[in-house]
Amino acid sequence: MSAGFMVVAILLPILAGAVIPLISFKNRVWMEVYIETVVLITSVVVWCLILNRPQEAFVLFRFTGNISVSFQLDGLGSVFAGIVATLWPLATLYSFEYMKHERHERYFFLFYVVTYGVTLGIAFAEDILSLYFFYEMLTMVTVPLVMHTLTREAILASRTYLYYSIGGAAFAFIGMIFILSYGSTGDFVPGGVLDAARLGTERTNLLLVIYVLCFCGFSVKAAMFPFSAWLPKAGVAPTPVTALLHAVAVVKAGAFATMRITYYSFGTEFLKGTWAQNAVMLLTIITIIYGCSRALKETHLKRRFAWSTVSNLSYILFGVTMMSPLGLIGALAHMIFHAVMKICTFFCAGAIIYRSGREYVHQMDGMGRKMPRVFTAFTVSALALMGVPGLCGFVSKWNLAKAAVNSQNGLAYAGLAALMISALLTAIYMLTIVVRAFFPGREFDYGTLEGISDPNWQMLLPLALFVIAIVLFGLHPEPVLQVLRAIAAELH
Amino acid sequence: MSGLMILSILLPAAAGIFLLLSLVFHRQQSQAFAGAVLAVSAVLVLATAWLGGGEKSVTLFYLMEDIPIYFRVDEVGKLFATIVTVVWVAAGFYSFLYMKHEGMEQRYFGFYLLVYGILIALDFSGNMVTLYLFYELMTLCTVPLVLHNGSREAIMAALKYLFYSMCGAYMGLFGIFFLYRYCDTLTFAAGGTLNPELVNGNQGLVLAVVFVMLLGFGVKAGMLPFHAWLPTAHPVAPSPASAVLSGIIVKGGVLALIRTVYYLVGPDFLRGTWVQTAWMTIALMTVFLGSLLAYKEPVFKKRLAYSTVSQISYILFGLAVMSPEGVTGALLHTVFHAFIKSALFLTAGVFLFQCGKTRVEELKGIGKQMPVTLWCYTIVSLGLIGIPPFSGFISKWHLAQGALEANVGVFRWLGPAVLLISALLTAGYLLPVTMKGFLPGKDSTAAAEKLEPSRMMLIPLIILAALTVLLGLFPGPLVTYAGKIAASIM
Repeated sequence: MSAGFMVVAILLPILAGAVIPLISFKNRVWMEVYIETVVLITSVVVWCLILNRPQEAFVLFRFTGNISVSFQLDGLGSVFAGIVATLWPLATLYSFEYMKHERHERYFFLFYVVTYGVTLGIAFAEDILSLYFFYEMLTMVTVPLVMHTLTREAILASRTYLYYSIGGAAFAFIGMIFILSYGSTGDFVPGGVLDAARLGTERTNLLLVIYVLCFCGFSVKAAMFPFSAWLPKAGVAPTPVTALLHAVAVVKAGAFATMRITYYSFGTEFLKGTWAQNAVMLLTIITIIYGCSRALKETHLKRRFAWSTVSNLSYILFGVTMMSPLGLIGALAHMIFHAVMKICTFFCAGAIIYRSGREYVHQMDGMGRKMPRVFTAFTVSALALMGVPGLCGFVSKWNLAKAAVNSQNGLAYAGLAALMISALLTAIYMLTIVVRAFFPGREFDYGTLEGISDPNWQMLLPLALFVIAIVLFGLHPEPVLQVLRAIAAELH
Repeated sequence: MSGLMILSILLPAAAGIFLLLSLVFHRQQSQAFAGAVLAVSAVLVLATAWLGGGEKSVTLFYLMEDIPIYFRVDEVGKLFATIVTVVWVAAGFYSFLYMKHEGMEQRYFGFYLLVYGILIALDFSGNMVTLYLFYELMTLCTVPLVLHNGSREAIMAALKYLFYSMCGAYMGLFGIFFLYRYCDTLTFAAGGTLNPELVNGNQGLVLAVVFVMLLGFGVKAGMLPFHAWLPTAHPVAPSPASAVLSGIIVKGGVLALIRTVYYLVGPDFLRGTWVQTAWMTIALMTVFLGSLLAYKEPVFKKRLAYSTVSQISYILFGLAVMSPEGVTGALLHTVFHAFIKSALFLTAGVFLFQCGKTRVEELKGIGKQMPVTLWCYTIVSLGLIGIPPFSGFISKWHLAQGALEANVGVFRWLGPAVLLISALLTAGYLLPVTMKGFLPGKDSTAAAEKLEPSRMMLIPLIILAALTVLLGLFPGPLVTYAGKIAASIM
């Protein structure tokens, strides 16, 4: 397929989304049809691109010399684009129903659709400058989504989000400058681009410091400790945003960017075994435990899952910091599978809030009997997050563990132990909800739950698909793993 | 033959799920259905285990490229599956009447059948990942049995059980990750599959990992320091559920330990290391402490739960000494303890069902009211204490022999000594019920009307008591069988 289609996939949702408030739709259904069509066409284009990957790059515009905004689709980008392209149409479908009880729908959908294009830009970026460009844009277009309800809380949250992201991007910017000056090129090349001749030996330590800064900068979006506070706050956004952006697109863009700089810019050969590796790995390990502990303490449903996301994103980052092909496989596997599991969890939370208005864990008593389908889906996603074999969470955990054990690095062993502790904490904070919902105790009066029932098909269909995906990936993950192995094989 | 094996797993599991999902059954219908399925599956399991010779194995599918979900019927698996079946059928038929006063019978029988299927799968698991899968499922699906009566106490106990078990399972999983690298294969092979070349230079790491696994799987077996869940969770369940939890589910931990130590790591690697010493020490401490706590416990079912803590560690001690006799004793005690402890909990259930008595001092004069029940209780108690000619004597004899013949330093005499002290304590916490029950003393006001339960509840009890006597009198074939297993894995 021609490389130009990449630009189509990016620009179509941006342009078609931007005009949503301008079009006068006859009624709400027409708007839904329009939006869903745009999103679906984009997804089809993306999947066609992934399946017939264009070999050449596409230069959108050139600033000077070799500095340009350009796109190329490689294996890593395909994985990220594939996740996004699969989940966006489903999340859009879900949000049609959900957004009925929120105001300013059109502006919501404007930014929701535009974000799709921007996220694809990150996936397709050929070099670090293009990545940075779309990364900043992502922050800008998602701030209004966080702010959507315009409550005081939402405005404060969006401000926090903005400051954190911009600050993180600033650090990433420093990294970019150093890559451009000490690398042979700004492009992403498997194995890294650092030029030993320009580098010399005396600058090694400087570059390592820069790497740590740059990693931390990009990790702000992936909510790594100590930069994780913005994510749970941003949970005030409507659930489709928290589910898709704050469990998948935005936060995984951060994780994706760290993969790019670690494996494709600085290069693992340069980093592996240095103090820099240990430093970033330690941070991810701390985050794994920290996120889970905060989730355990949190009684608000969506914020609890947001903290869980913090922890799970650091599973991915932990895989990245292993700096081995196996580590990248584990990280990518968790990137895919966590996306499915967590979006399922959040959609369940959204369905619960939408149908019952209940937002706190202690209000979940007995809800399992009133919303059996939603809570079945929730149970499956909870078990998957815990890593029960046969569900997809186990597969990624297995691959991360394989990388950790093979790394022969004491800190990675500690990380593996952290994964297990985190799994236990996950079991505690997820299963208490399940037990409450299904077994409220014999004194419980179901009369208090009058009128609560499962939502309509627009909400249930995505849930059903996610549950099927969780089980299928869990029982037969090989096709996915083979793709990931091929990506990791390029690194040699 | 492999089809039969899959069927024997799938039938009870599917029937259980069916019962859970269908809400329309009448009480009698659901009981008849559960009973029929239980009987048919029991026959299927026994046929799978004992009929036809040759290698019976089946690879269901590949979870990942080198990790199959794989079942194989081997000697240990056969033994465990048979115990499970006997106890499950006995407690199942006991439940039909008993569960009337607990309510929510359909849910109970649904999970009861489901867990049966899972246990059979666990016993026939041919590699560690398959075992781990069903180990987790076993935990998750037994939680509803624990919290059955829906009281706040029961729900909290169930959560405690769940989280302790998950903690143990994850410690086990942590070890599995490492064994995956340091073993040739995760498929069970008698004597272990550890790759000496890879291990060379990493002995310390592997030993530490194995120790973590021992502690982890020990959680299910009620081993110190993670035993606290057991006396909380087992007594709050309905009595037949307590019986299978204490008689069978804890053996899941024992099986996982046998598989880890004798089928993956190999006893040769562990013999004489600090891990063996630590394991023996913990096991003996648990034996003693469990008995002591049981001795001091006034609530009858809790006392029995503490007794389980102690008795399972008899088995673990036998496994830890790593001598053929010790393992023989451990396997025998697994069998005997399963029958005895189930019978004890079923008796506790009778007391509860017929006259609502829960504390030991309330049981004065109970022998006048239900002599058959109390006689069964007495017989199995004597078995558990280890008095000949009842079954417990045989297993304890082999356990002590195993310790004496093994090259384990101070544990050669310390082990048997602790076992002996614990046996005295066992007598101390079990026999007073018999004595006060039959001889309440002159000032007793207990009425002498007959309260014997109906046959549905009595027959399972009598069968388990009879097994205790028979296996004590004619232990020959079983001892030979256990000895054969022990010899094959050394």
